[in-house]
Amino acid sequence: MKFTRSGALIFFLSLTVIFSIIVIFPIVSEAQSEQKTFVTHSGSVIQTSGEIIDPVYTTTADPEYTEATVEFDPMKYLREFNYGKVSTLPDGKILREFTIIANDDQVMEVSPGIFFNVWTFNGTVPGPTIRATEGDIVRINFINNGAKEHTMHFHGIHPAEMDGVFEIVGSGGGQFTYEFEAGPVGVHPYHCHVMPLEEHIVRGLYGVFIVDPKESRPAADEMVMVLNGLDMDFDGENNFYAANTIPFYYQHHPIQIKTDELIRIYVVNMVEFDPINNFHLHGNLYKYYPTGTDLVPSFYTDMITLSQTERGIMEFEYTYPGKYLFHAHKVEFSEKGWVGIFLVTDDLEKNNQDIKYGS
Amino acid sequence: MDLDNNFSKSKTIASGIIPFTFVVVLMLYIFGPGADLLDLGIPLPEITIEKVDFIDSEIQVTVRNTGPISVEVVMADINDRIQPAAIEPDRFLERYETALVRIPFEWNVAEPYRIGLTIEDGTRFEKEIDAAAPALEPNFDLAIFFAIIGTYVGIIPIMIGLLWLPFIKRISKQKYHFFLALTVGLLLFLAIDSIEEAIAVSDENLAGSFNGTLLVVTVLVLSFLGLYYSGEKFIQRAASSKLSKPVAIALMISIGIGLHNFGEGLAIGAAVGLGSIAFSTFLIVGFALHNTTEGIAIAAPMSKGKGLVGKALIGKLVALGLIAGSPAIFGAWVGGFVYSPFTSVIFLAIGAGAIFQVIVILMKWIRDEGDKNLSSAAVISGIAVGMLVMYLTSILI
Repeated sequence: MKFTRSGALIFFLSLTVIFSIIVIFPIVSEAQSEQKTFVTHSGSVIQTSGEIIDPVYTTTADPEYTEATVEFDPMKYLREFNYGKVSTLPDGKILREFTIIANDDQVMEVSPGIFFNVWTFNGTVPGPTIRATEGDIVRINFINNGAKEHTMHFHGIHPAEMDGVFEIVGSGGGQFTYEFEAGPVGVHPYHCHVMPLEEHIVRGLYGVFIVDPKESRPAADEMVMVLNGLDMDFDGENNFYAANTIPFYYQHHPIQIKTDELIRIYVVNMVEFDPINNFHLHGNLYKYYPTGTDLVPSFYTDMITLSQTERGIMEFEYTYPGKYLFHAHKVEFSEKGWVGIFLVTDDLEKNNQDIKYGS
Repeated sequence: MDLDNNFSKSKTIASGIIPFTFVVVLMLYIFGPGADLLDLGIPLPEITIEKVDFIDSEIQVTVRNTGPISVEVVMADINDRIQPAAIEPDRFLERYETALVRIPFEWNVAEPYRIGLTIEDGTRFEKEIDAAAPALEPNFDLAIFFAIIGTYVGIIPIMIGLLWLPFIKRISKQKYHFFLALTVGLLLFLAIDSIEEAIAVSDENLAGSFNGTLLVVTVLVLSFLGLYYSGEKFIQRAASSKLSKPVAIALMISIGIGLHNFGEGLAIGAAVGLGSIAFSTFLIVGFALHNTTEGIAIAAPMSKGKGLVGKALIGKLVALGLIAGSPAIFGAWVGGFVYSPFTSVIFLAIGAGAIFQVIVILMKWIRDEGDKNLSSAAVISGIAVGMLVMYLTSILI
């Protein structure tokens, strides 16, 4: 009985301690450190003592937190065309040789801080833009360094054995040489055609194949835009949409163009899961050449609808300088990254070129 | 002799420590540096959105890392549409660490929202809010408002229930046992109600890693044991002091009911806080009717308090009523201003444990009073009627 009083005291004291821990526990992390500011979509300015999480595309600098093995610059990809190693065949035809290596162990920082295992042609998503003139011989030395089977299937006209469907290229260094005459004129996709096909496509095994007409199109500031999506959680729905893979990239890094200069965009829709995608341009209309197969535009519009692998060429010029959005008018897609800005500036250089310096 | 005793003492200590040392060695072998024995499988990250507050042009989300590995929260969305946001203090969350995600957003009152957070591997976690309502600003007016509601729900109904005391005092022993048993029935219902509520809250708001049901059971048993131990001691001492045993038991019942009413206060405060005002009106009316019966539970043992008359009795009754009822006010404050699902699960479980303890004490008392018989018609029907009354009044909530 002599312990009763002190025992009870200790008991109630420990109860008190436990209760206070229970109450305080959920409010443990306290904010401190200096203030940062950021601007929201609706223009308001927010201050925070913490970190800003906004898909402004800047790759994670700290090597400790970077798992990415893919280096991809959407601004470089936009205007990068690969014409291959050019030689002339005995019959006078132009031969364009390309080496394409498939891989499926690459990790890409698809949005700031978000890492995703992509499957790649030549290490990027999309793969390199392959460009030839109608009638050229395209020879692709395809090497599969992946852990799974892959192929290259081009849209266009070619012999059945060059179709990249039944000639499965084995993993770990399997090889195949695709060779065909480039045609028809236009813009076409290429992609892996191994089952399960949807997975091989959405993981990133696709790219653009441009066939120029023999009489080349008028000079223009040319760009490639692959409209694609990423299903990060494998639930059969895209979590991100983009022009050229990185969500919101061209919104935070506007594409600089000049007034009165012809802009030509080769646009290819590679979005899976969602039946349609579309392309809306602000402050302007464009001439649209579906699939690019005809040299006369079919539409003059600011809105086209694209189904899977549907593609075409759009041409336009801006009269007034300023910032113009382009985005999916399926607004869900634009709010998940498929949105960009053209920054149109007056073409001062053009005027300056007329002035001769020296001599 | 002394040496011998010391030797055997150290032997005892050693034999207690040796198995423990082996456990430590085992743990070090499995988890220690360089151990790759359990480096199998892929741990899946998990975060839980515990709380969403709608404030002026901003949605604030409290998120906790409830998975087995550390995560980075890298993106926020509203209704599956990506939004720029801030995360405080930073985006790196260790196990069980929390962070506040601030998403600037012009939200609309009473509309449903789905709040999503994405971590570094692209996995998205979502919480659905049925109807957005402005988060309550803790101010004086609101505190008064909650105090008034707490009084309506907690104190007044219990005081009304206590008014049955003169009636219970005049009835026969048989009928008196009936009323004591009725109290047991009422309390049993309340205890089960609290457990159900605690498990529901933990299922909805706590991550699986908290083991919600086991958390409730553990806290309930601890609370029961703690209160049982101190309650016994208290009643023992009361028997030899100026407090009579009936008053001591009534006090234990009041404390038990008080803890339970704290849980009810939490529910009301949280309901008002979540903006379901219409719902909480029902809740308030229901609780008020329901709690009148709690007054009977306190009155029943009190009626056997000999020598308590006039002012002294009224004073004691008022005190007991306040102990049982006023926690509803504190509960409403906590629920309305600093609601945390974890805290409310804990308090609901403590309340359930407290009620079970009161039930045990009451049963003992009935047994002592009623010639060691717990199967009399009065007792059985009392418990049954108690449960039924509670069920019927609970339909109103």
